[in-house]
Amino acid sequence: MPRMTIDEAAIRQLAALLQETGLDEIEIGDGERHVRVARNVTAATIAVSPPAAPASSPVAAPSAAPAGPVDGTVTSPMVGTVYLAGEPGAPPFIKVGDLVTEGQTLVIVEAMKVMNPIKAPRAGRVVEIRVANGVPVEYGEILVVLG
Amino acid sequence: MFDKVLIANRGEIALRIHRACREMGIHTVAVHSTADADAMHVRLADESVCIGPPPAKDSYLNIPAIVSAAEITNADAIHPGYGFLSENAKFAEIVEAHGLVFIGPTAEHIRLMGDKIAAKATVRGLGVPCVPGSDGPVADAAEARRVARDIGYPVMLKAAAGGGGRGIKVVQDEAALEPAFTLASQEAIAAFGNGALYLEKFLVRPRHIEIQVLGDGKGTAVHLGERDCSLQRRHQKVLEEAPSPALNDAERARIGATVAKAMATLGYRGAGTIEFLYDGAFHFIEMNTRIQVEHPITEMITGIDLVREQIRIAAGASLSFGQEDVRFAGHAMECRINAEDPETFAPSSGVVTRYHAPGGLGVRVDSALYGGYRVPPHYDSLIAKLIVHGRTRNECIMRLRRALDEYVADGIRTTIPLHQRLVRDPDFANGNYDIARLERFMERAKSGA
Repeated sequence: MPRMTIDEAAIRQLAALLQETGLDEIEIGDGERHVRVARNVTAATIAVSPPAAPASSPVAAPSAAPAGPVDGTVTSPMVGTVYLAGEPGAPPFIKVGDLVTEGQTLVIVEAMKVMNPIKAPRAGRVVEIRVANGVPVEYGEILVVLG
Repeated sequence: MFDKVLIANRGEIALRIHRACREMGIHTVAVHSTADADAMHVRLADESVCIGPPPAKDSYLNIPAIVSAAEITNADAIHPGYGFLSENAKFAEIVEAHGLVFIGPTAEHIRLMGDKIAAKATVRGLGVPCVPGSDGPVADAAEARRVARDIGYPVMLKAAAGGGGRGIKVVQDEAALEPAFTLASQEAIAAFGNGALYLEKFLVRPRHIEIQVLGDGKGTAVHLGERDCSLQRRHQKVLEEAPSPALNDAERARIGATVAKAMATLGYRGAGTIEFLYDGAFHFIEMNTRIQVEHPITEMITGIDLVREQIRIAAGASLSFGQEDVRFAGHAMECRINAEDPETFAPSSGVVTRYHAPGGLGVRVDSALYGGYRVPPHYDSLIAKLIVHGRTRNECIMRLRRALDEYVADGIRTTIPLHQRLVRDPDFANGNYDIARLERFMERAKSGA
């Protein structure tokens, strides 16, 4: 069978749509090609406790989906102090509800006097900002959730 | 005194440092990799910071992450433990450059003792005995013969450019010297492109004996006696005891005084260990500029908390006691318990399903294990140290046997069975062993003899 080209933008668009509409699953078809996008929501996590991370993890199927982090959490790659703006008094890089593009700076983590911009791994809408300006963060701590 | 100390290590030593801090009223910060989020030192510390993913180079060896963790938690000082960054002079410098205190010696002394040739030259200059030899390359076989006559046979011919045990020839007598010299020189040219040879006394089955020192960095240093670490497997210590069965009080006082004087002259700061090979005389091998794994046996016979002293010295205090206050009481032994197969020594990681540590009079267990703990596969296999103290060596051995038989760590393979066999070996009971002893013992066990 001919190699399928992956329309990443289409998958992202569907994932964002899923988030926006609150649907659990969207499937589109065009001839032989079908793309199904489903949210990673299970009854168990909802029933037991409020989910620690919002159940906003759009999972793209089929397996042609790109590898790598599939949910929208952006974690800190280092220990340091978070800054939400480029300098004191400046407007924050992002607000909840903003649409961001891949590579756009979300926050800064300062470690040993070095300012490290933390960039969006993909395009999406800012669903949540988990950290306050000037707080310390650990390696792996969730900074921002993208929808 | 410090208000808060960051512990830049993991496992039992992180817990050991936490305990000393707590008893001094100092708050602790644990740092950990994602693999150690449930570790005991993290659970007990006042604060914890995740510094990176499981590989040590990205977490426990990650200098920026550790310094940042100290900054965000407002720690005053960093204790490096052993291994990882403990003998990294650059780390010590960076810590101090950030206005934090490094709990250990100066970067200059770490660097000096890390360079084996400079270390040997330095301590020899301070009167510490070294392996007799040519102190540099010999010109020809005739010079080698003169040096060998002087130091006595057997001798070793070593390639100046060699290392790691390569390019070494043992010569038993003068008749064998000249042919061996020619051969070794040719081999050295072939192997290293440099035929230069030097000569050292060959020590036949020596013991490994080390002296613990504490210096205040202001010209005062004391020794806390010796530890006998001759029971080794592939240069890894397995079981240590203090005092050594090979030394008497006069010999101990003599080598101890020599080492303490050398460290006082050097202006050494903190805890350090001078390692020797011993064959009736002491021969310097190297100095470790940190706390050692086997430090508890010294604590057990002296009653001195070495980690507490390290912290006091780092905070600028003088030693809390003098040499005349150091008293040796009884005998102590330590078994290093590794998560390894006791026969093949293959590492064994996994969940410790059931855990029971031995107890009773004179029994100490330094371990970060607990029931349900998962031993991660990423780090050193040392999971526990069983340390016992007795009034006599015999009482100590009987107690060690009893304690080993009580120890339960199910779900993983451990070296407890190896120790159980070793402490019942008659030669061990008699104190009759050297650095090759354990490997001979393993061979014999394998052949079923």
